[in-house]
Formats: sequence, C-alpha cells, structure tokens
Amino acid sequence: MPSSNNPGQSRLEPQPGETIDRAAPVEFRFDGRPVRAFRGDTVASALYAGGTRVFSRSFKYHRPRGLLCCAGNCPNCLVTVDGEPNVRACVRPVEPGLRVRSQNAWPSLRLDLLSLLDRLHWLMPVGFYYKALHRPKALWLLARRLIRRVGGLGSIDINAAHHTEFSSRSLHADVAVVGGGPAGMAAALAAAETGAAVTLIDDQPSLGGHLRYTRLQAVNPRQAGNPKDELAAAVANAPNIHALNDATAFGLYQDNLLAVHTPGGLVRVRAKQVVLATGVQETPLLFDNNDLPGIMLTSAARRLASLYGIRPGREAVLAISGNPAATAEAYQTALELLDAGIRITAIVDASDGASGEAAQALRDRGVTILTGHRIARAVGRGRLKAAVAAPVGSTGYADGRRIRCDLLCMSGPLYPMDALLQQMGVSQPGVTLAGCATGVSGATGLDEATRQGRDAGLRAANPAPNPAPLPEPLPAPPAPMPAGKGGRAYVCFCEDVSAHDIAQAIDEGFADVQTLKRYTTVTMGPCQGKMCGRALSAICAARRPLSSAEWETKDRPEVSGGGDLFTTSRPPWRPVPLAVLAGRERMPLKRTPMDRIHRQLGATMVESGPWLRPHNYGSPADECAAVRQRVGIIDVGTLGKLEALGIGAPQLLDRIYTHRFSDLPAGRIRYGLMTSDNGVILDDGTVTRLAADRYFITTTSGNADVIEEWFNQWNAGGDNCAHIVNVTAAYGAVNVAGPKARETLAKLTAIDLSPDKFRYMRSARGEVAGVPSLLLRIGFVGETGWELHFPAEYGEYMWNAIMEAGREFGISPFGLEAQRILRLEKGHVIVGQDTDAVSTPLDVGSEWAVRFDKADFIGRGGLSIAAARPAQQRLVGFIMPPSTAGSRIVPEDGTPVVSGGRPIGRVTSARISPTLGRGFGLAWVPPHLAEEGASIQVLIDHRPVSATVTLQPVYDPQGLRLRS
Amino acid sequence: MFQLFRKNRMWRARPLKSRYRVVIIGGGVHGLSTAYYLTKLGVKDIAVFDKGYLGGGASARTTAIIRSNYLTPEGIPFFDQSVKLYEGLAKELNFNLLFNQMGRLDLGHTDAAVYALRMRTEFNRILGVDSRMIGPAEIKRLVPSMTLREGLPYPIIGALYHPPCGVIRHDAVVWGFGRGADRGGAELHPFTAVTAIDRANGRVTGVETGRGRVEAEIVLNATAGWSSDVARLAGVDLPLTTHPLQAMVTEPLKPFLDKTISSANLHAYVYQTDRGEVVIGGGVDPYPSYSMRSALLPMEQLAGHTLEMFPCLSNVKVLRQWAGLCDMTPDYAPIMGAVDGLDGFILSCGWGSWGFKAAPAAGRNIAALIATGNTPDIIKPFALSRFHQGRLVNERAAAPAAAIH
Ligand SMILES: Cc1cc2nc3c(=O)[nH]c(=O)nc-3n(C[C@H](O)[C@H](O)[C@H](O)COP(=O)(O)OP(=O)(O)OC[C@H]3O[C@@H](n4cnc5c(N)ncnc54)[C@H](O)[C@@H]3O)c2cc1C
Ligand code: FES
Repeated sequence: MPSSNNPGQSRLEPQPGETIDRAAPVEFRFDGRPVRAFRGDTVASALYAGGTRVFSRSFKYHRPRGLLCCAGNCPNCLVTVDGEPNVRACVRPVEPGLRVRSQNAWPSLRLDLLSLLDRLHWLMPVGFYYKALHRPKALWLLARRLIRRVGGLGSIDINAAHHTEFSSRSLHADVAVVGGGPAGMAAALAAAETGAAVTLIDDQPSLGGHLRYTRLQAVNPRQAGNPKDELAAAVANAPNIHALNDATAFGLYQDNLLAVHTPGGLVRVRAKQVVLATGVQETPLLFDNNDLPGIMLTSAARRLASLYGIRPGREAVLAISGNPAATAEAYQTALELLDAGIRITAIVDASDGASGEAAQALRDRGVTILTGHRIARAVGRGRLKAAVAAPVGSTGYADGRRIRCDLLCMSGPLYPMDALLQQMGVSQPGVTLAGCATGVSGATGLDEATRQGRDAGLRAANPAPNPAPLPEPLPAPPAPMPAGKGGRAYVCFCEDVSAHDIAQAIDEGFADVQTLKRYTTVTMGPCQGKMCGRALSAICAARRPLSSAEWETKDRPEVSGGGDLFTTSRPPWRPVPLAVLAGRERMPLKRTPMDRIHRQLGATMVESGPWLRPHNYGSPADECAAVRQRVGIIDVGTLGKLEALGIGAPQLLDRIYTHRFSDLPAGRIRYGLMTSDNGVILDDGTVTRLAADRYFITTTSGNADVIEEWFNQWNAGGDNCAHIVNVTAAYGAVNVAGPKARETLAKLTAIDLSPDKFRYMRSARGEVAGVPSLLLRIGFVGETGWELHFPAEYGEYMWNAIMEAGREFGISPFGLEAQRILRLEKGHVIVGQDTDAVSTPLDVGSEWAVRFDKADFIGRGGLSIAAARPAQQRLVGFIMPPSTAGSRIVPEDGTPVVSGGRPIGRVTSARISPTLGRGFGLAWVPPHLAEEGASIQVLIDHRPVSATVTLQPVYDPQGLRLRS
Repeated sequence: MFQLFRKNRMWRARPLKSRYRVVIIGGGVHGLSTAYYLTKLGVKDIAVFDKGYLGGGASARTTAIIRSNYLTPEGIPFFDQSVKLYEGLAKELNFNLLFNQMGRLDLGHTDAAVYALRMRTEFNRILGVDSRMIGPAEIKRLVPSMTLREGLPYPIIGALYHPPCGVIRHDAVVWGFGRGADRGGAELHPFTAVTAIDRANGRVTGVETGRGRVEAEIVLNATAGWSSDVARLAGVDLPLTTHPLQAMVTEPLKPFLDKTISSANLHAYVYQTDRGEVVIGGGVDPYPSYSMRSALLPMEQLAGHTLEMFPCLSNVKVLRQWAGLCDMTPDYAPIMGAVDGLDGFILSCGWGSWGFKAAPAAGRNIAALIATGNTPDIIKPFALSRFHQGRLVNERAAAPAAAIH
C-alpha cells in the first residue's frame, strides 16, 4: 500500500478534543490516487496524515507550497474539489468519493515544469511587467498570450450548470456576536441574560474558538476539563441565542448589516449592536525560504495535532518573533507538542530572556531555547531540512547555527482580527470589540478575554447613549526585516513577493502603502492581506522615511508620512462563491394565465423582457386586418398592474405623474406619464380611479417592479397615507378591439356598452362571462375597444368565452407584432423603444400630459427648463416612398437618419403600414426637419433613401373610430 | 533591458513654490494626463495637487475598459481618438501598460436592445469605428463559456461586437503619465488638498492648499467624484451627481474568457484579466453618495446577473468588492473646456463611470486649450454651456439604468 493511503501513518495517539472519528473511515481521491481519511478530517488533514507535504504551486514562480495556516486564510492549500476551483483544502471536510485535484502545476504537483520560472526569478524584479516586453508592440502581443496562458490558479468547467441550492435570508438581532470563542460566547450569554435576542456567528463546525485546539493542561496540569464545553452548553440552553455554526461573517456593511456565508446560503444579519470577538491572527516570519513546505504557523501545527491527531513533524523548531502575546502562545504550544510526543530540537526566541513557568518547564524537559536569536534562513529543496538561526541584529548568515528539523513553527506577531471593523472605517457606532481581538493574549488571557466578552455583551444589550470610541488599530510592530537581502523572504505568499521586492519598490518612489500595494501586488492575491498586510505596512513604515534624502524634504513632512499605513479592508473577508451571493435564480420566466392557449393556437412566442408573449399566430398582416375590419383579442396580462390605496393616494399620484389625478372623477381613466427628476420619460400607462381612495394603475410590460419601487421610494419616510400594491400577477388581462368589439362583449355582459353609456376613457366594474371584471375603455391600436382585467385564474376561461362570443364576427387573436404595427399607425409611442434616456414629454409631443399648473411633481424642474428652450430633437412620423419592383423598403429599427453622410437622427420603429401599403415609422430628427412634408434621408443597406416627415397618425388622425 | 535592474525613481518630491502658471487639482488619470501633454507642449510650470496618493480616486478603482463604440456623432470620434492614443501610449511613455485589446460584446436581450445596438453599430460604422452586429452562433463561437439563455427570460439574441475594445493596467497608466509629467518638469504634489480657489475680476488667481497658498493663472478641475464640490470653491455649479459604483473581482482562474462582455439589461459586465481574475462591474448605485464603502445588495445583484450569463462561474469565489465615485452628468457625456464667466478655470470632469478610456484624448486636448487658449473642435461639444443651451450629447442610450463604463 503506498504510504499516502495510510490515514494513520502520521497520526498520534487519540487526542482529547480531536474532531476525527477513528472508527469511521472515508475514502476520496487526490490526483487520481485513493486517499483514506477519517470522518471529521479535512481534505488537507487527511492528505497530511498520509504524508503529503506539497499542496500547491505558487502563483508566479511555481514554488512548492505546503500547509501554512491550516485555517483557511492563506493561498497555500488551494485545490480543486469536484470541479470547484480554489478550494481551501484545510477547511473543506472530507466526504466519501470527493475528487480532489491539485492546481497550477504541470504535469504534476511534484514535478512542475513551470518551476523553471523560480530559477529565473532574478530576471523578474519588482515591476518587471511594467518595465519590459512593451517594445516592440509585437513582443507584447506575444508575451501577453504567454502570460495569459500561465496565469490563473484553478480552472473551471465551462459547461457547468448554475448551482441554485443556495437561498438567502435575513435575520434581525438586538445583538450579533461574531466569533464563538470564550469571549464571544461570554458576550452572547451576558447579552442574552438581559433578554436581548442574540445571534452568535462562528465559522467553525463547533463553538470554542481557539479552545478547540488548545490544551490548557499543558501549562496547567490542574486545569479540569475545557471551559469551552461549559460555555457552549450554556449557549445551547439559552433560548434567545441563535447560534450559526460553519458561518463566516464576511462583511460588515453600513448600519450594522453583517453578511454571513453559511452552508445554506447568504444570511444577512441586521443588528442593533455588533460585538466582534474574532480573536487574533498569526502571521509568518520573514527569512529566506520561509515558504518551504514544513514551515507553518504555530497555530497550524497545533490544529493538526489537536483537532486531527496528526504528528505535524518529527523534529520541530519553534521560532518566536519577540511579541509577548505570540511568545506566550508559542511556549504553550511547545508544551502541547511535547505532550503529544513530538521532539522539539530548539526554540529560537528573538527576545532576550525566556522567563516564566512555561519556559522553565520546557528547559526542565530538555528543550534548548536560543534566546536573542532568530531564523536567518531555511534550508531544503521542496521540503524543509534545517533552519539556520542567527543572533538578532546580524545581517548575514555567516554566524548562523544550523538546526536540523522537518517542522518549523513560526510565531510571528499576533494581530487582532479586526478586518470587519476596518471595512467600516475605525469608529462605528454600535460595534464593539471583545476578547483577543482587543489585544489581550489568547489562552493565557482566557479569564480576561471572557470577562471582557461579558462586559461587551452587557454593553451591547444596554448601549450607552454615547459609546466610547473604539481603539485605533494597533500600530504595526517594528518590521522584523530578514537577514541578508531578503530576496527569498516572502512577504506575500499569494503573489511571490519578497521583502527585497518591497524595499526596492519603496526606493523607486512607491512610498505610501496604497501605491506600494498596487505596484508590488502584495495583499492583492487570494489571502487579501491576511498573511501579508501587516508585514507590508511594517516594512513600509520602517523603510519609507529612510528611503532617500530627497524624499525627506523638510518642506513636505506629509510626504514621508503621507497616506495611511494600512491598505483598505474590503469585503468579503473570506472569498465567497458567486452562487452564494446570488441566491435563488432571481429572474424566472413569466407566463400569463393564457399561455397554454397561445401555444395550442400555434403562436410564435417571444421573450419580452421577463415575459414570454405571442409574437404572432401565423400572419401579423391578417391579424391587423381582423382588428381593423372585425374584432381582435390580445393578451395584455403582461402589463404592470398596481393599485394605489389610501386617502393620500391622490397626492402621491399627483406627485409622481406629470398629469393630475386628484381631480379625476371615480370611474374615469387618464393617461399617465412619469418622468425622472430631470424630466426624462420613465414610464407611461393608464390610471383609473376606482374610488376616492383607490386607483388602478397600469405600467408598461416588464416595468411593474421598477415602477412599484419608484412609487415606494417617493412614498417612504413621509406620513402620507398611501399604499402601493403590485397586483400584476393577480389579474389576467385582454384587450378586445375592432368595429365588432362592442357586439362581441355585449353577448357576455349586462353592462351597457353603447357609445353614449360607456364612453371613451371610462371604466366600469361588473361581470363578464360571469367573471368579476374591470372594464377600461381605452385603445392602443386605434379602434373601439376594451381592456378587461379579471382574476388570473379565469384566464383561459375568459379567453375562450370571448373567442366563442366573437366567432360569429370573425374574431382573431393578435400578437405583439400586429399590435406594434397598429399602434405605430396611430403614432403611439412605446417608452424605451421610441424614447431614450433624454427624451422628455415635450420632445415626443406629449405636452398635454404635463400639468405645470399643479403643485410640485417629479420632473417639474427639468421640464420647466426644457420648456424654456428650443428642443434639440423631435420624434416625428415618416413615410417611405412607394416600393418599386416588388421590393418594399422599410428601414430597420435603429437605422440612422443622415445628412451629408453624417448621422443627425435615428429611426426608432418602422414597419409596413397595412393602411398605406408603404413603409413608415417614427424617427428622431433635428427640430428644423420636424415639419409636415419635410424630406429626411434614412439609411437602408448603407444607402440613403428619402422619406417624408408627417406629424399626423397615418390611421384615423381624428380618433373617430377610437371613440365611436 | 538594463532599465529592468536599475532603480529608477518614478517621480520626485519638491518644495511648494509660491506661484505656478498652471495648477491642476486632482492627481488622477485625467490630471496627470493633462500635465503630461502640457509638458510636451512646452508648458512646464505646472503643479498637480491631490489630496491623497496619486491616482487614488476613481482611477485606482476603475475596471479600465477602453473602447470607442459610443453612440453620438460627438462622442464617437472623441473616444476613437483616445483609443488610438492608448494604442501607442506604452511606447510613448516607455512603460508597459499591459493593454489587452481583447474585443467586446454588448449583449442584446430584447428587440429594443438589439435595435439600440444596431443604431450604435451604424453610427460607429459611419464614423469609422470597427463595430458589427453578430448573431447567436457567432456569439457562441467567440464566447463558448457564456450561455445564450435560450428559453429563458432575456435570451441573448444579438450582440454588438467591437474588436478594438481592451482593458489596461489602470495603475500603470497613472504612473506612466505621472512619471512622464515629472520628467517633463511638472511637479506632483500628493497629499496636498486644495481647500479654496481664489478669484478676482472674473478670473482665477490661485488656490489655497493644505500646505499654503499658491498663485496660478490657470486652474484645472480634474477631480471627478469631487468635481462639483471643487467647482463650488470657484462659485461654479456643475450639473453633476456623485454616485458610488461597485465592482468586484474573483480568485484567479485559468483562462476561459477573452472578451469583455457587457449587458445593459442584466446590469453587469464581465471580463477576465491576464492574471486570471474575473472582474465584474455594473451600473452606478441608484442613490447619490460620496461613500466609497462597499454595499451588499449591489454585490448580490451583480453576482446573480453574472451567473445569468456565466452559470459556469457558480462556485467561483469573489475575492474583493470595492467602490469608487462617479460624477454623473444627465447625458452621460463628459464636461470639458473653459467656463463662461470665469477666465482661467478649466474643467475636465463629468467622467462618470466611463472616463478612464478618455484620459489621453482629454488630456491632450485640454493641454492644447491651456497652451493656446483655443478649444480644439473635437472637445467643443462637451462644454459646460451645453447644459444651459439645451445641447445635450446623449450618450445615455435608451436604457435608463444601462451599465455604462
Ligand atoms: C468601479 C469603477 C469602474 C469604472 N470602470 C470604468 C471603465 O471600465 N472604463 C472607463 O473608461 N472608466 C471607468 N470608470 C470611470 C473612471 O475610472 C473615471 O472616470 C476616471 O478614473 C476619472 O479619472 P479622474 O482623474 O478624472 O478622477 P480621479 O481618479 O477620481 O481623480 C480625482 C482626484 O482628485 C482628488 N481630489 C478631489 N478633491 C480634491 C481637492 N480638493 N484637492 C486635491 N485633490 C482632490 C482625489 O483625491 C482624486 O485622486 C470606472 C469608475 C469606477 C469607480
Ligand atoms: S493552509 Fe489552508 S488556507 Fe492556509
């Protein structure tokens, strides 16, 4: 059996608190090989247990990389799992049958030919891309192609389908606590005791934070049990704590809105108060070859040992930067590792004296502690073999001492994990920090952290009116610059940027951290600065004032200190899949209640925005003829339908529409046009007053949601008593139009439809074919007609009843195309087709629908200005010359109107008019051509053709048929 | 080759003088481009002031799409000139700008959208810009990773294909212009805010900065999202509203997309960088604000719309979301040129969500205006006075919320 198949090879004795179930083996595949794991393993822990040390190849130089953080925060363990690229193996739980593949290596992870780039790294100094390859241009074209080929990490399957299993939801909380460690749990409990509704958000599979992998007994043999268990039990028993596990709060947005990535999808938590108990972040140390597999953060080794019962190495060296909190953690870890049976060859401590109980205990157990030393470089090819320790302050390797090891634990400075806070800027009302995130140190500060958490929870549940401002972020500690030049001391593991590169960039003038970041790309990779951000700031702070005398001009103190020291923290704190952000498919295809009938009738359907509508039922020309000569029926259920209710509704409508509706008598209909605040047409439709406090509104198809929002936006905040209800889907609608429309409908209703009883622009409510309906006498196509609205569930029944009643009159269904032709003959404008983003009602000849004599309305300002100056363009009708020799000429929609070869206008809609038998349409032209009979040139097949302008509808200009 | 290994200082820090011929407010791509072209015209007595780091405004946040398939007879030639200048800029500045002319598709999902695209194509063609309408088969061939949404709402029924469109390394453009301006003699003063603009007898006389007062004959306002505030310092009202624009980027992927894809109906645009990241952007946030923080809802919507075009990106992860400010004009065309009634005050603003691509042409023509006193014809239609005279340059197309960039 190959070694990697043995899940037990590097396992320790069962560890207290380990998450694996040694009785439950699981098998998956890595690069085709079977890998055996235990339930509770992550992909990375299982591989590590089986002997894998190289997990990925780095982005630029294809250097072999091993586990670094074991916490999902770095780029080192990115793999592809079941086709999902860039998965962090160290936090992805194993499942039977997973297919895991390595990335960014060819032909294999072990032998990656592109690691040749690593040998050539000296050829690629910082800023290489900007300084080279651009001359001559052909070289760049070639180089670009190569760069593109080798760029990127994981790959995707372009035929993969959209994952729709995620759905988003929103929660509200009095107090939201982020972080389920001791401080977070204490905060949640304290707040909950006061009765507050608490949401506790933690990204681990179970509560406990760092106590999940800390063995307090290692330093304190008298410690009984793990305090996390008691706290977690209390949380589970508190009825008003809603705990989210496996849930990563990745964004803190305005007004305490937390965005949380959970296994089920996105959860938005809007909280009155937020407590961030997010703990600390360990960062790497800087020395040459600090990226060799076998070198990892101390916390990573700890996780491997405690959570997965894995022996992270046989001979370990611990390196400590000198930061007190990190030192305490490192010593604690050393004891834990010893307890777990791992040999510690040395502790390399940068501080001068290692005192304290833990240090003494370690010495007692025979561990060498090299104080006043730091790691100068690591040795090994593809795998750590030894570390070279040198006295702090020495600049080369000469006086270094070589220590054999296969595991090097880096205890770099610990930083508060305050990224969420930084996303909002530093002081955010309603947000507090607690626990290690405030700078108290991990396990040794346990009591302090818990107490602080409790205080923070109490304060959040009972916020003071003027909360104390939050502490500024901790200043970057002095940069532990590497020995030597640091050409291989990686600050940025994502992008392979060394300390030397950064120093050089600063010297070139990229001296503030923002430009430095952009030039070197440090913090711009998959870890987004989690591993490198603070080191970048530290190097920048340390080097910048020294970089050059001229940069230190006395006159310009702000240059040497210019700009922030930190790059901007942005969401998401951890990468989030697009499918999680997207949630459920948000664009369902909409069908009207008569959809099935249209298909049965053989209609050609077209997508019209979100709707599927009949385009025609065979012949648009025949359909037009039926409407003009007999009677036609069209499904207009796609119209947006809103109801405005309440005593404030008349005022709301007067405000939003350019027309006046407060004086509209009940039962009457008026054309409604709405404009944006600069007077541009947004939408049109009809408004019917049903009662003093109730209006029925139609909007253009597909616009209902936007207009509903528009209404609500203007209605919000005031004390106007008006409500907008979107009833689009509740009603089906048809339009029955033509000379025989009256006779057809009269067979189905007792309502008197005679011309003097049911006049144009009037409405009535009553039964049609026994179905309660709203009848509107309006007409888009220019014939006598009614628009009927009725409960959607009667759609098919109503359609059939009307078809049956109209059969003796030769009724025909008509589709979108016939409707477009018929309305064009009437010169009716379709908003969005004939109008554009600068068209005002004045430009399209709808001045009559704008009432400057009423109180303020949206668009009044813009329209008043527009009214005072000459129009720039006008929408006019035009008619093409008669067709010659069988070729009718109709320009396509969108064709330019030209003059002397230059575009001066455009055709918005053009068809063949059944009435004229010629091409005709609408076009925007300069005002001087907006004259009856003027000649314009439109392009057809790139050739100019003359057309004649008309300002009259080509059909029934007086509207007699419409009103009859 | 040797320049590779030489430590070349990009720009120098210099003491503030008490007077300059030209003061440029705003060290973004427009301010620096103008400074660079001015030095080429022999005007060297220039100071560029920025309240933050160089290129830290919209120029640091842009998605840097460079194209010329505009809509109006005024806009098309102007942007065309800019694209052509970009094509030669790396050579001219001796700085690789990583320009990648990958080509772009503007998708049409409805009859009305196709009509609008056709109109654009025709206008482009007449004015000599390479744009063509293509159908679903050709779209699929060019972008196999995109779904055509057959049988779904907003199917992709046509597209405007514009081959010269590209994306560029935006920071490099800023640095390249900055270095060029510095070498030409202009002074760059980052971290120096302009707090007042002095005027006398109908002309500007100087500016107040955080580091003291300086006199100037000419003051250029190139402050994009802040330009209405800065103009107000000179008593000039601009018809602008400032809106945040959100964008985001995913983790790097192996190449799968080598076109820029834009959909006005779906309010999103998508392209893949040479490094492999997928850049996603959309329309500006609907409300005016000066906040450059990120917002959640736009990110959710952008993600949804991206997957409507590229379902294959479902489990690709977003790495970073950011926002910048856009100074939006009512007609979505820029404001360039002198201001009636205030001599010496020049505007280069209204760059909205589309202005990065314009930097070389705007800089060159405004430099010419400053150097000669005459406004070049190509930028005449974009004067501020057009809003008072009702001569809008409608680059807004039909869709009121189009993704324009
Ligand atoms: C997310 C996003 C995506 C975009 N995508 C594209 C795209 O794909 N294609 C495209 O062409 N365009 C795009 N744009 C637009 C484009 O980026 C901008 O139009 C362009 O960068 C503007 O450049 P600028 O130099 O005028 O302004 P900026 O780069 O904003 O520079 C203005 C500068 O003025 C400074 N300033 C402000 N007030 C003062 C003061 N009082 N004193 C001193 N200095 C001051 C600011 O600090 C700032 O640095 C996008 C914009 C954003 C935000
Ligand atoms: S080792 Fe997995 S993310 Fe760091």
